[in-house]
Amino acid sequence: MNWKHVHLIFLREMNDQLRDRRTLFTIAILPMLLYPLLGMLMMQIAQFHREYTVSIRVVGAENWPARSPLLDAHQQLIPLPGLEKITRLVEIEAVPWPSDDSPEARAKLEQASRAAVMADVVDAVLLIEPEFDSLLQLRAAHATQSDAPPDSTQEVGQDTEQRAGGNARLAAEISAEKATEPAQVPVSETEDGLELIANLARDNSKIAQARLSTVLDQWRANWVVSQLSAAGVNPRLVEPIMLTETDTSVSSVRRAMLWSKILPFVMLVWALTGAFYPAIDLCAGEKERGTLETLLSSPARRREIVWGKLLTISVFSIGSALLNLMSMHLTAGIIVKQLASQGSTEIASVLGPMPIHAFGWLVLLLIPMAAFFSALALAVAALARSTKEGQYYLMPLLMVTLPLVALPMLPSLQLNLGTSLVPVSGAVFLVRSLIEGRYTEAVVHLPVVVLVTAACCWLALRWAIRQFESEAVMFREADRWSVKLWMRHLWRDRGDTASPTEAVLCGLTIIIGMFFAQFVAGSTIHDFTSIATSTVIVQIAIILTPCVLMALFLTRSPRRALRIHRPQFSHVVAAVMIGVAMHPSYMALGSGISQVYEIGEETSSVLQMFQSLVLSQPLWIILLLMAALPAICEELAFRGFIFGGLLHKNGALRAIVVSALFFGFTHPVLQQSIAASLMGLMLGLIAWRTGGVLCTILVHAINNTLSLTMAWCAANHVSLPARLNWAVSTQGDAWTYRPEWIAISVFITLAMLVVLFRRNADTRQVVQAEMA
Amino acid sequence: MVEAHHLTKAYPDLQTGQFIALNQVSFQVGPGEIFGLLGPNGAGKTTALRILSTVLKPTGGYARVNGFDVVTHPYEVRHSIGFVSSNTAIYDRMTAWEMVEYFGKLYGLDAERLAERMDRVFTQLQMHDIRDVAGARMSTGMKQKVSIARAIVHDPPVLVFDEASLGLDILVARALLEIIAGLREEGKCIIFSTHIMREVERLCDRVGILYHGRMLAAGTLQDLALQYDESDFEEMFFRMLQDSDRQLSTERCQGIL
Repeated sequence: MNWKHVHLIFLREMNDQLRDRRTLFTIAILPMLLYPLLGMLMMQIAQFHREYTVSIRVVGAENWPARSPLLDAHQQLIPLPGLEKITRLVEIEAVPWPSDDSPEARAKLEQASRAAVMADVVDAVLLIEPEFDSLLQLRAAHATQSDAPPDSTQEVGQDTEQRAGGNARLAAEISAEKATEPAQVPVSETEDGLELIANLARDNSKIAQARLSTVLDQWRANWVVSQLSAAGVNPRLVEPIMLTETDTSVSSVRRAMLWSKILPFVMLVWALTGAFYPAIDLCAGEKERGTLETLLSSPARRREIVWGKLLTISVFSIGSALLNLMSMHLTAGIIVKQLASQGSTEIASVLGPMPIHAFGWLVLLLIPMAAFFSALALAVAALARSTKEGQYYLMPLLMVTLPLVALPMLPSLQLNLGTSLVPVSGAVFLVRSLIEGRYTEAVVHLPVVVLVTAACCWLALRWAIRQFESEAVMFREADRWSVKLWMRHLWRDRGDTASPTEAVLCGLTIIIGMFFAQFVAGSTIHDFTSIATSTVIVQIAIILTPCVLMALFLTRSPRRALRIHRPQFSHVVAAVMIGVAMHPSYMALGSGISQVYEIGEETSSVLQMFQSLVLSQPLWIILLLMAALPAICEELAFRGFIFGGLLHKNGALRAIVVSALFFGFTHPVLQQSIAASLMGLMLGLIAWRTGGVLCTILVHAINNTLSLTMAWCAANHVSLPARLNWAVSTQGDAWTYRPEWIAISVFITLAMLVVLFRRNADTRQVVQAEMA
Repeated sequence: MVEAHHLTKAYPDLQTGQFIALNQVSFQVGPGEIFGLLGPNGAGKTTALRILSTVLKPTGGYARVNGFDVVTHPYEVRHSIGFVSSNTAIYDRMTAWEMVEYFGKLYGLDAERLAERMDRVFTQLQMHDIRDVAGARMSTGMKQKVSIARAIVHDPPVLVFDEASLGLDILVARALLEIIAGLREEGKCIIFSTHIMREVERLCDRVGILYHGRMLAAGTLQDLALQYDESDFEEMFFRMLQDSDRQLSTERCQGIL
């Protein structure tokens, strides 16, 4: 690696990008314009909401109780204390109630009012019916009547909205009139005689409705207080509890909380887009312009070219993210200041300027993330032959990365071992902890996050370098493609085993099949027969069939494609011993995982129901269904066809890791997936060393047999045979491994792996000879 | 200086399963010699020359440039070779001077030597008047000159011109041939691929006829004229291609291929 070349390439690419007006516009000018423009728009909307004068038609203002009028002599709203500003911005057009008060006339009036609102003649219409005042009085009377028992007094307090208190004199009069049948007028069901008509699809009508509601609410509150006072009831009764709220958080920390959720998201989305456009220009663009071949034939090595381009893209990614961050923050600051000056102190205290140290942490997050995104973008962009083609790859890239960036925005998710293992999200969680000042938590999870992030960056970089080293990627010509041609090619050019692409395709088919099977199975499982049926269908139809069909039609030797060959005797012995000895570690792993990632209540109840249905059956049926069948089907698929395909061209590491991930993904519950993926790594290792699938079938079957037998014995209260006392102990009914046996079993597993590794040389020769 | 031995390149192909772009091609070129690689479009010229410039790897045979194997010592090969192709364009947003300087630096020339070489190359190719013109504003002829300057700035012993005259007008093409002839005088080993007979006749000491990835014939023009009993080179070329097509169809009929 010649860093001088990297430096030269970096400088040139930087210069080149800086001379490109399009890039500069997207990276630098756009963010500087975008947020102020958005801010201005927001301010405009806020101003409209604040200063627009609404016109409201009030029909029947004369029906309003004269004791507490709504309109003044000029037929405008009387400003209530605290609502002067709103009142000023409401223009009333008072119309008397029509003299003809028949139901038809009323319906006509209502229709005309609706039409006026819809036609935008007025923003809202308030209909005050002639009986409004008397209804109000009636309610007051009813409330006073039911005041007698102490319980209902409280009820009045609780339901003030519906039940206005009564003026004592009026109450007495009306109760005299209606005393004969008070129960016939259930207060809560009586209409109020007031109707507000507004068109909520229009902003101005919405504002009119909101303002009038505020005024009416205030009027009602005043009315209730005056009525209660008049009746000799303490008005405090309607608000029996006054809560004093004390917030222990410092306002800067509160603001940090809010910003720490929004800013990483905005920053990382811009880091990704900021990386993508230069990446397309530096790869696909150069291919299109013909300058890439010039560079490829220069003395710079491919990895040096990748590093040079990667650094350039990273700089633009970081620059774009930072500029956006600053522009957004500055604009938000100005808007908040403006809002604060207009009296919205609440918004100002929540949204106020972000603590300056938070910026430091964000930049720290940005550097590795920008590097990761840049490497990803570079690798993806290398695939494209032209800039136009490159643009198409943005969407798939966003689909993969955006969920990782958006995950930390979910409420209630916090930094813990589980979240710290998730690429990108883990780093965001860590930085959020730092911004919010939870340093101990951050330091504890730092190693995991650093490790995961570094691994991601390294993998993405490796991918980018491989892309640049691949002739097929760098000199890809536009092939004539059709389904027929492709099918013919698959049949004609099929190899002895699957190709890596076919292996991945098979894995994806199984995962998609499992995804749909889960929905069907989830709704139909109610007894053991349904469990048995769905297990057989899943294993045979969804897992085994795709790989067997693909092996039959896409390879020349299905037996080799499924990696079925006679194993050596020593390997069989080693596999049996590993199967037995690895089980305690697997159980420990399972319980460890469910401690870190707690199983949800719903999932756990489903699992329990499943377990109780299964474990009540005879053991041999369970073993056949849940140990033998999955061991055969899953191993033929994952350690057979998929593993064999991925093994192409010394891809042992790829085969072990990818087949383990596929194996993990086919398990429906997250905790099972993690355990199965780890187990898959071990099975992959054994499959690689033994050269075939039969040994892993043994290990898999033994592992499942032991798990099921132990659970079955516990569920059926089978007492522990004395001859197993050295390895297993019972806690209640549950069978657990003794710690000393766990330690010994780990040792045996390792020893057997050593045996496999040492004997591997001859196996590989045998397999290679067989392949040849 | 350049030696290709049974050079073969096969690509996976959707239509035919495998496409053999280059089939056991062998040739040798010495210093001070121009070897013309002649063939119609798709004959495999570019593939052969890309292998020599190490951007592609052969699937069979070997090639050596200045004594270095293109697969095992690509770095050394790239230092010994100047590669000009219709596919190796120049940067739009760089001036002629910046472009040549950039590649000079990539070739590891120190400041003093670079300044001396740049001055010499710019004089030799009469490029001083375009030194500050950006690539996007150059004419095709100017661009071609910059490409050549970029390829010879490190003074490599071997030069490869792959269809370098493609799209050039007659004046520029003539100037290009003169430049290449001048480089031969300096003792460079030159491989020049084209599908234009006139250029071959004017320039090349020896030629190799490439068709469907195979080398049909190789030698001096006089040798070939004698061998095929045809003084008109264009006629000879067509006869060779026709013979090859005929032979190929006979082989197919016999089930050999």
